[in-house]
Amino acid sequence: MSFESEVKPIFEKHCIECHGPKKQKSEFRLDDREVALHGGESHAPNILPGKPAESPLLKFVTTADRDTRMPPKGERLTAAEVDTLKRWIAEGAVWPESASLKKTDPLDWWSLKPLAKPALPSGDAAHPIDRFILAKLQEKHLQPSATADARTILRRLNFDLIGLPPTADELAAFEKEAAQDLPAAIGRAADRLLASPRYGERWGRHWLDVVHYGDTHGYDKDKLRLNAWPYRDYVIRAFNDDKPYTRFVEEQLAGDTLYPQTADGHIAQGFISAGPWDFIGHAELPETKLDGKIARALDRDDMVSNTTGAFLATTAQCARCHNHKFDPIKQEDYYRLQAVFAALDKADKTFDVDPDAAKRRAPLVAERTRLDGEIKTLNEKIATADTRRATLIGKIIDELKQGSAAVERLEYGYHSAISKEQSATKWVQVDLGVARELTEVSLTGCHDTYNNIGAGFGFPARYKVELSDDAKFAQGVTIIADFTGADVPNPGVKPQRFALAKLKGRYLRVTATKLALRKNDYILALAELQAVDPKGRNVALGANVTSLDSIEAGPRWGRLNLTDGYFYGPKSERDDARIALLERERTEIRKGSNKVAPADNARLAELNAARAKVAKELAALPAPQVAYVGTIHKGTGSFAGTGANGGKPRPIFILKRGDVSQPDKEVGPGTLPFTKELNSQFDLPADAPEGARRVALARWITDNRNPLTWRVIVNRLWHYHFGRGLSDTPNDFGRMGSLPTHPELLDWLAVDFRDGGQSLKKLHRLIVTSATYRQSSLGNPANEKIDTSNAFLWRMNRRKLEAEAVNDSVLSVAGKLDLTMGGPGFQDFVIDKPQHSPHYEYDQHDVEDPKSHRRSVYRFIVRSQPQPFLTVLDCADPSMSVASRNETVNALQALAMRNNRLTVAMAKHFAARVAKEATTPPAQIDLAFRLALGRPPSTSEAEAMSGYVREHGLTNLCRLIFNLNEFNFVD
Amino acid sequence: MNDSPYHRQSGVTAMNRRDFLFCSGGGLGGIALASLLGQESLLAATPTSGVLHAPAKAKRVVQLFMAGAASHVDMWDYKPLLEKKHGEKWDPGEAVELFQSSPGSTFASPWKFKPYGKSGKMLSDIVAPIGDVVDDIAFVHNIVGRSGVHSQATLLQSTGFLIPGYPSIGAWVSYGLGSLNDNLPTFVVLPDIRGLPSNGQKNWDSAFLPGQNQATQVRVNAPKPIADLSPPPADYITPSGETAGLELLGKLNRAHADSHPGDPRLEARIRSYELAAKMQLAAPDALDLSQESEKTQARYGIDNSTKVWPKEINVAEEQDAFGRKCLTARRLLERGVRFVQIWSGNDNGFPRRNWDSHEDIARDHAPLSLGMAKGTAALIQDLKDRGMFEDTLIIWTTEFGRMPCAQGGKGRDHNPFVFTNWLAGGGIKGGVSHGPSDEWGYKPADRSHFTQGYDIHATVLHLLGLDHEKLTFRHNGANRRLTDVHGHVIKEILA
Repeated sequence: MSFESEVKPIFEKHCIECHGPKKQKSEFRLDDREVALHGGESHAPNILPGKPAESPLLKFVTTADRDTRMPPKGERLTAAEVDTLKRWIAEGAVWPESASLKKTDPLDWWSLKPLAKPALPSGDAAHPIDRFILAKLQEKHLQPSATADARTILRRLNFDLIGLPPTADELAAFEKEAAQDLPAAIGRAADRLLASPRYGERWGRHWLDVVHYGDTHGYDKDKLRLNAWPYRDYVIRAFNDDKPYTRFVEEQLAGDTLYPQTADGHIAQGFISAGPWDFIGHAELPETKLDGKIARALDRDDMVSNTTGAFLATTAQCARCHNHKFDPIKQEDYYRLQAVFAALDKADKTFDVDPDAAKRRAPLVAERTRLDGEIKTLNEKIATADTRRATLIGKIIDELKQGSAAVERLEYGYHSAISKEQSATKWVQVDLGVARELTEVSLTGCHDTYNNIGAGFGFPARYKVELSDDAKFAQGVTIIADFTGADVPNPGVKPQRFALAKLKGRYLRVTATKLALRKNDYILALAELQAVDPKGRNVALGANVTSLDSIEAGPRWGRLNLTDGYFYGPKSERDDARIALLERERTEIRKGSNKVAPADNARLAELNAARAKVAKELAALPAPQVAYVGTIHKGTGSFAGTGANGGKPRPIFILKRGDVSQPDKEVGPGTLPFTKELNSQFDLPADAPEGARRVALARWITDNRNPLTWRVIVNRLWHYHFGRGLSDTPNDFGRMGSLPTHPELLDWLAVDFRDGGQSLKKLHRLIVTSATYRQSSLGNPANEKIDTSNAFLWRMNRRKLEAEAVNDSVLSVAGKLDLTMGGPGFQDFVIDKPQHSPHYEYDQHDVEDPKSHRRSVYRFIVRSQPQPFLTVLDCADPSMSVASRNETVNALQALAMRNNRLTVAMAKHFAARVAKEATTPPAQIDLAFRLALGRPPSTSEAEAMSGYVREHGLTNLCRLIFNLNEFNFVD
Repeated sequence: MNDSPYHRQSGVTAMNRRDFLFCSGGGLGGIALASLLGQESLLAATPTSGVLHAPAKAKRVVQLFMAGAASHVDMWDYKPLLEKKHGEKWDPGEAVELFQSSPGSTFASPWKFKPYGKSGKMLSDIVAPIGDVVDDIAFVHNIVGRSGVHSQATLLQSTGFLIPGYPSIGAWVSYGLGSLNDNLPTFVVLPDIRGLPSNGQKNWDSAFLPGQNQATQVRVNAPKPIADLSPPPADYITPSGETAGLELLGKLNRAHADSHPGDPRLEARIRSYELAAKMQLAAPDALDLSQESEKTQARYGIDNSTKVWPKEINVAEEQDAFGRKCLTARRLLERGVRFVQIWSGNDNGFPRRNWDSHEDIARDHAPLSLGMAKGTAALIQDLKDRGMFEDTLIIWTTEFGRMPCAQGGKGRDHNPFVFTNWLAGGGIKGGVSHGPSDEWGYKPADRSHFTQGYDIHATVLHLLGLDHEKLTFRHNGANRRLTDVHGHVIKEILA
């Protein structure tokens, strides 16, 4: 029986299409001896030597079952073919080693080979980079290009290192220095630019592209992520501080464990949370539900792919559903990486940087929680005897203790009967019990969430507020506020406050003289009326309410809701001082009521005093910081996180076909089996804290023996400097990626970087001081014939400016760029409908708002509705890792550059700036050109422009200059 | 009133063509760089040959996407059992896990179903206008989703993936086939400007595909339908200044390009300004519905008489909103736009113009569906009248269906387990209903043989002459496809 001539042809004819090199359905292939005899998803082994009847393979090819028969479509095996297979298996399924496809060593791939520093190629060049580049040019029969002129080089350096054009003074100084000694001038300029804070803004943005940073969650609702920015600032800071790369990696993956006593240690884990997050999938669906499981599995997938993509240029996520088709990554390896992040969620984290504060805060918070528990139990026992006011005070205290969690109660407010006439007069009034001295009265409008009507529902168009001792308001009436003369704009849920000069009275009445529109009819509705006494207490709380009429509908609408202390709106942060004040008042009320056992009241006072003391100590600690990071989350409801379990990682299973409903074997934490020198399984003790998993991963990545890490980062730098990496797939060093054009140079740089202090700035300097870097970008027909795409760098690549560089240059040239650094991102949009799913309205933003004239790296980045101007100019999409920006030229860009409100407005400022500094039209044209392009216009250019300026004005010329090719490219 | 033409807003009143160019806006965007340049060196990003595998049955596509999940059992998928068991405990004989609620009682559709056309297809009253064209439609009733969460499910139908960051079907088609015109974009999206769908623009993203495949958004009936088509009001901008400025810009850029030879991008950028100018003319013309007869406008449900709509959701307003988009789509398709995507719904404000009828099916589905049906039927008829139906593919999509049981008495929860899509036009066999759902409309009748969004995508590409397994783009280590690793052409619905 010959496998080669009898069996193999059957496989090739019927099976190999789906179970061969192209596809491996059910992870099974019949071109690979190992897999054929032992592998396959759920039926392995499919071939049982000597037992044809029991071999699944034979069952599949013979069964009549439509769902399982093989091949599923097309011609079935003939009886003779089946017989051949049967005999072959019966005879022991002999499959000679030689008959299999030639097995290659999966680690035999350039990027996985151990890293060693190659010798410099021979040559005259002093600079190591030039040695490698020139050697390759020679080999390919390519001629290097001449050195570019000084102006071109400084513009190149400027855009490259800081993303902004040089000023006229900088250019003049550089040209002078360059005339003496160009390399030295470049070195000094590089040092100056690398020392500028603008450098971190420019290069930090590159890193933010790779990690897909954004300021909203994306997906459904796309809610704001208000505390993401500390990570963006961290990245900028790390570049500016030239943080050693190992530390940079460690902090982003495990800073909370390795460096908990630094702010960066916590904030850097914004790396883990940088990507999108499915709000609905977490906040509305618990982990027990299928869709909740899917959301969390995809979220971990985002963490894994961000990590392996950014640091390792590896597409581990391809192994989520099946073994990686090209690279040596098994499904199991991928799920081991998921296990590394299994305890984490993306969430706001509050942390102490000061270790002493952190140490002291924990027991104090625990003590406060303990006291609150005891207070609550005691209160529950005695609350039955409380007055309405005391009960309401208790409710407010409970809500304040919940902290910043927004409280939404059903009790909307008071709602009058419906009137057909808008001019009908309606009133509602509050009885304070006795005449009281008041310093302030406030009215707050309703918020109807149930019908999605929103804020200000039923707030009257015209009204007045009066105070009297007469319940009928027939005599002794003091007018507190009178808006009956003209309509007032609806204040929404903003409290309308009226200060009183210590007036005294028992009844407060609100009279509407022009009602609010409901549907086609009219009403008066109010959420809350508060009356503040000189001690700062709301004496209206719990007071009785009467009115002309009222709909009294369920919990939502009722008179007493007007004095229940509740109205919609952002609730204050946990306010311990106010809690103490309210507790004192409650104790007083209880004392007065005589219904509470004195011992209980006394014990309560004791507990409250103890609580106040703890609260005071807490208040004395330095304020904690907040950042949105990958962290142990302790939440309530569906989005519970692992915090309640002490951060115990969730169990991670290999998912068949990536399907959460088909869990297979459980796996522990580990990494990719990419090098034999390092163990890819983390042999951590069972009780190791979860952070140990991330530390192990970070240590594996930053190990000197990791073949990828060092190559990947130097290649990224090279990519941004030249517009193309030495491997031009900076996010994929696997078999689907591109081979490096200069593998030896890449390795030389990687080792030099790894062993030479891991300083990015040093590497930048090395690159920009090479002769390769200072070549002209002009074409050369002879070279183009050999290397059209300039893969071998016989010239510099002309670069189309990225979206941010265009935007920032426009602002800079117009004299409007604000260089304020850091902090929350500026919002160049207006948010409509913030309560449910925010609409981000860019059109409504005022382009003259100076807040939006900061560098675009500080922009608030929305995922679902990306900024239109920058998006048209190919800025990075924050929903995916962008290792290399798309660079397109299209008509939408032309329209945006000409007609966008920003360029149209900035042209005016540019013109004003020019007109201020130069008076005659020729001088203005000259200056405008110098500011924008760093050179004076040629005679013919100046001539062409002067006619245009004469007829259509300087501003139109300034707008035109923004549209020049020369403005939008850097040579 | 400012009389300057630059301050006037879009409208369909008598305005001369030149004024219109400045005021309203028109569309433009992705013109294939290939046609823009004709340069080999920049074509690396176009698909490899062999993608066009078969004679195309259709040249262009219009996709109608109901965001929020339209209810199959209230529109297309008649279930007599629901009427029989209405109000009884709903028991499909297995544990049911719903998105938001626990299953309520069996809930018959609030609307009556009647047979239509030669095929006798049962349609509900809220899609009655479709009855006139029902024999042109192939329904697929056994689509199974992969998520009951709007965001992921919408992305799955729009891009083929559950997570953002992948190109939309329109971008893929643009990438695969390029442009049919030289003054309008290849891929146009007409969003529901009252509220974008889940994930917003991620649903019509070009993601990693070259930027010329990005969608151009046209906000139908908005003051400025297309961003940056014309300059904003500015005291220094005049028509003559614009003309002279473009000329001077071209001249300066040309001189610059001449002194920097060998870089096709410089040339491309000069051409892009010329193209932009062409689009400034073509787009307002394409969007000017006043060029259509009153009869045509009425056919689409467009109501020019009502200036202020009632606050409540209502049929007339929904007809007007959807009809305008359908008529705009026809005008764009006529002018060579390759892929038009129309969105309906997903406003989360009040009223809730959103197919996500958890609270009240009758309140929201009736106006939305009647509005959709009128415009859709008119579009199909109109395309037929103009001889364009044979090579235009019309696809009706939603991210999932709704449950046969009630939520809170009057609403329905999500049903990703089975729902309906339909197709019509070029290469589609009309009057068929493929792949039944079970008697409840809860899951596919045959649970081991069902249809997925991938199959719809594969079928669409197939009819356009594209092999869904061969239309790929290398990104971050994988040859990406619209259909990921799935997808089978649904042969049963092909003509």
